[in-house]
Amino acid sequence: MGLPLTTPTADPPGGQARVRSPWAVARAAVAAPFTRREGRELLFCLAGLPFLLVNPLALFVLAVDLSWLVAGNGRDNPSPADIAIACICVGLLLVLLVSTGAARKLGSLQRLLASRLLRIRVAPLPAARRSPGGRAWPGPGPRDAAGWRVMAYLLAKLPVGLIELYAVFFWIGGLVNLSYPLWWGAFRNHPPTARLSPVPVFTPFGWFGEGTFHVATLPGTFAAAAAGAAMLLAAPWVTRGVTSADAWLIKGLLGPGRLAQRVRDLELSRALAVDDSAALLRRLERNLHDGAQIRLATLAMNLGMAREKLGDGGEVPDAAAARELIDAALRGAKDTLVELRSLARGIHPPVLDNGLADALASLVADSAIPVELKASIPVRPTPAIETIAYFCAAELLANAAKHSFANKIAIRAAGQRDVLLLSVADDGTGGADPARGTGLSGLAQRVAVVDGGLTIASPPGGPTKITVELPLRA
Amino acid sequence: MNARVVIAEDAALFRAGLARLIEDHGHQVCAAVGDGGALLAAVAEHQPDVVVADIRMPPTHTDEGLRAALEIRRQHPRTGVLVLSQYIETKYTARLLEGNAAGAGYLLKERVADVADFADALERVAAGGTALDPEVVGQLLRASRRADGLAALTARERHVLALMAEGRSNAGIASALVVTGGTVEKHVASIFDKLGLPPDEADNRRVLAVLRYLGS
Repeated sequence: MGLPLTTPTADPPGGQARVRSPWAVARAAVAAPFTRREGRELLFCLAGLPFLLVNPLALFVLAVDLSWLVAGNGRDNPSPADIAIACICVGLLLVLLVSTGAARKLGSLQRLLASRLLRIRVAPLPAARRSPGGRAWPGPGPRDAAGWRVMAYLLAKLPVGLIELYAVFFWIGGLVNLSYPLWWGAFRNHPPTARLSPVPVFTPFGWFGEGTFHVATLPGTFAAAAAGAAMLLAAPWVTRGVTSADAWLIKGLLGPGRLAQRVRDLELSRALAVDDSAALLRRLERNLHDGAQIRLATLAMNLGMAREKLGDGGEVPDAAAARELIDAALRGAKDTLVELRSLARGIHPPVLDNGLADALASLVADSAIPVELKASIPVRPTPAIETIAYFCAAELLANAAKHSFANKIAIRAAGQRDVLLLSVADDGTGGADPARGTGLSGLAQRVAVVDGGLTIASPPGGPTKITVELPLRA
Repeated sequence: MNARVVIAEDAALFRAGLARLIEDHGHQVCAAVGDGGALLAAVAEHQPDVVVADIRMPPTHTDEGLRAALEIRRQHPRTGVLVLSQYIETKYTARLLEGNAAGAGYLLKERVADVADFADALERVAAGGTALDPEVVGQLLRASRRADGLAALTARERHVLALMAEGRSNAGIASALVVTGGTVEKHVASIFDKLGLPPDEADNRRVLAVLRYLGS
């Protein structure tokens, strides 16, 4: 969800660099292979294997080989015609994968793996728009840009996936090397005169230990074990590096593009704006129906009854009752006026026409808790922004008065270049949470409609500071 | 007459005023409640002659008053139901009358200001008659597809037709128009003749015939 609601954490990662002792660094390096995170990353590397097979390049090689086998029984090198046919086959296959949505499915599978194992959250792809003119394709069609981006990811996955397998090799090779001294004695109980063929040791530079490093004696196996330990120590960092690269690709290619994300955010905020205005009208109707309308009906009824008590002329049959009814009608008229005034003010406070600073000043004057107001708004925002800012301030002020047990509230409104910053701070008990109650999240929604943002800093125990950022123009 | 009345209205001030108005006109208010459920219970307990119910009441603030009224009409056919509302919805009229205009009424809330008229409507409904708001009748007349038939009526006859549709008796129409009963009878006969409706003596069947004519 694209709501700009942020809660700053106390200790941002990458904030102040914490000074660590060399000992702690060494301990972290040694412990790194055995953390859960490493396990998940290793699993992610392994899980990438199927994606290497369902891959445009792998498919191409497979197609060339197949056509080569079929056409020439594998005797000659593949002819240019074979390669051309293979190219066409693979091309058609790719179009098919994208247009039926199979690519999207592969992408969402990969996204699922990434979210489970790498803990990165990538928004799902925007729904494919059907091409006008009915369903020519069983899926999103060949012009599905998001599908092609998934395809690009699958292409890029080939080298990345191979490096991921290389990272897996670090773990396996390291473990095998480490175990050499253990099984040496079990299998090498040879007569002393026997000549031993050397055993290859896995290293990062020789895939299967060929040609790099062989051992033929028991002390040699300890060297192999040392090499294994070194590989195991290095393995987490290799894994981390390559999975980070993969994560970067996933974020860039498997999520919605920036434009699509923007469209989603706008769709969301438009829906919120429409809902909000519908809810506002409903509330207004309800207030009129249950308030002013029924008060006026009661007033009219009282006047009607009073008229009856006054009679048609001459003697007044029941003057006392008439007086009482007229008094009630008068009270009703006054109450109705008060109610209508507060209703009108709730729709649009007239003082807002003089500018936000004046409106905030009149808002503050009504507060039961002392409020210190500082407003400097050199460039006047548009009326819509002023209205949103005013109602945000009113609601935040009411919240502070109701929930915070504060002794003092400070409101700041500052116009900076093209942004209006409004903050309401109190010295109360804190613990304001948008998840509880609808007030703060409702505000965030209203602010989001104009691309604004709401930041809440309210640790338990206080103080609370809530900042609303709005563009000057909407 | 002395009718036994149950009131259902969620706005306390209006409810109190209504009770006073009704008692001032010599009727007895058995119960005054604030929602549909309590209304049904009060009707079952007191078996009143007539119920005055607000359409929009808690908990949903939509049409629980109307639903309670329909329930009362089904379970207690001898209890008249006068429904009050701040709006007129032709659809509500159709649901309320549904083939039987006897002991049913639908008025705008503001009609209580004309105290005598309101009391008259209440007594009519309590006695098994009909009381439709002039606004309802006006909407029906405006929306009617029988424009050609209505065009054949004189202005006076159209006025009489509207008063008939509101549920008034010939005597009521006569006093509203300040004419004699005989004049009204002549107008009524002429209207029924021009519209091709079978003449009917009973007021509530007459209302239904007129409403059917306008609605068809």
